[in-house]
Amino acid sequence: MTADAFLFWFLAIVTLVSGLSVILNSNPIYSALCLAMTMVGVSALFVTLNAYFIAGVQLIVYAGAVMVLFVMVIMLFDLKKDLQTFARGMFTGGVKLASVGLIAGLVVGAIKSAELFTEKVADNPVTTGNGMESTKALGQILFTKYIFGFEALGVLLLVIAVGAVALARSKGGTHEQ
Amino acid sequence: MNSDFINNIGLTHYLVLAAMLFVTGMAGVLFRRNVIVLLMSIELMLNSVNLTFVAFSKFLGILDGHIMVFFVMTIAAAEAAVGLALAVTIFKRFNEVNIRFFEHLKG
Repeated sequence: MTADAFLFWFLAIVTLVSGLSVILNSNPIYSALCLAMTMVGVSALFVTLNAYFIAGVQLIVYAGAVMVLFVMVIMLFDLKKDLQTFARGMFTGGVKLASVGLIAGLVVGAIKSAELFTEKVADNPVTTGNGMESTKALGQILFTKYIFGFEALGVLLLVIAVGAVALARSKGGTHEQ
Repeated sequence: MNSDFINNIGLTHYLVLAAMLFVTGMAGVLFRRNVIVLLMSIELMLNSVNLTFVAFSKFLGILDGHIMVFFVMTIAAAEAAVGLALAVTIFKRFNEVNIRFFEHLKG
């Protein structure tokens, strides 16, 4: 087995196992820990795909900021263990399980049956060089071709910041008493 | 199991892995009752979609997928912030994070 293949299988197993333990742990703080592990695994998978900048952003934003947010809220709630972790009901549970299995089968079947091209494209901007070139090209198209989306994202973040503060200040309820 | 499947890591491997991660997150959203774990499962689904984007970006040789991942990450962080602020507000009112108790949201 080559080093690339070993790395992929190792990361795939780590990511899938920690992703499963996110939804199987009944203690939310363990779920948060497993989610952080999943984020680190996905970030390492980005490195195997030559997306070095995205991998760094993934580590900083997800494994750093978002996980701190989750853990802060869990600490604020002081949750010990969920009394009723999973949804009840045999019939609805069966329907949910069937829908999950159906979408899994559909997606994997579609991927398997599709004629996916496997040859590498020549003059590939993602795989050339040692990663510096792809990051430079990423910055260039972010600030030229996608400048409108970038600015719109800035407006969205401003709205989110104001909205989160307004939500935190409200006493609850939508109507003035 | 033939060794070609194990040794030659292609686009299909990454896509199937992303699909399995997505289905895991979907099962979490459907089966769990805790609001915080629901938000975590949504983050899991968004991450698997990011993995799909980056895999296609590498195997097609186009950088636009990376830009899309950048946008998705920003929006996911914003969504987590607003969702958790809502969860804190609801927790202050009901003292409960189980969505079973949220049927009394009448304002």
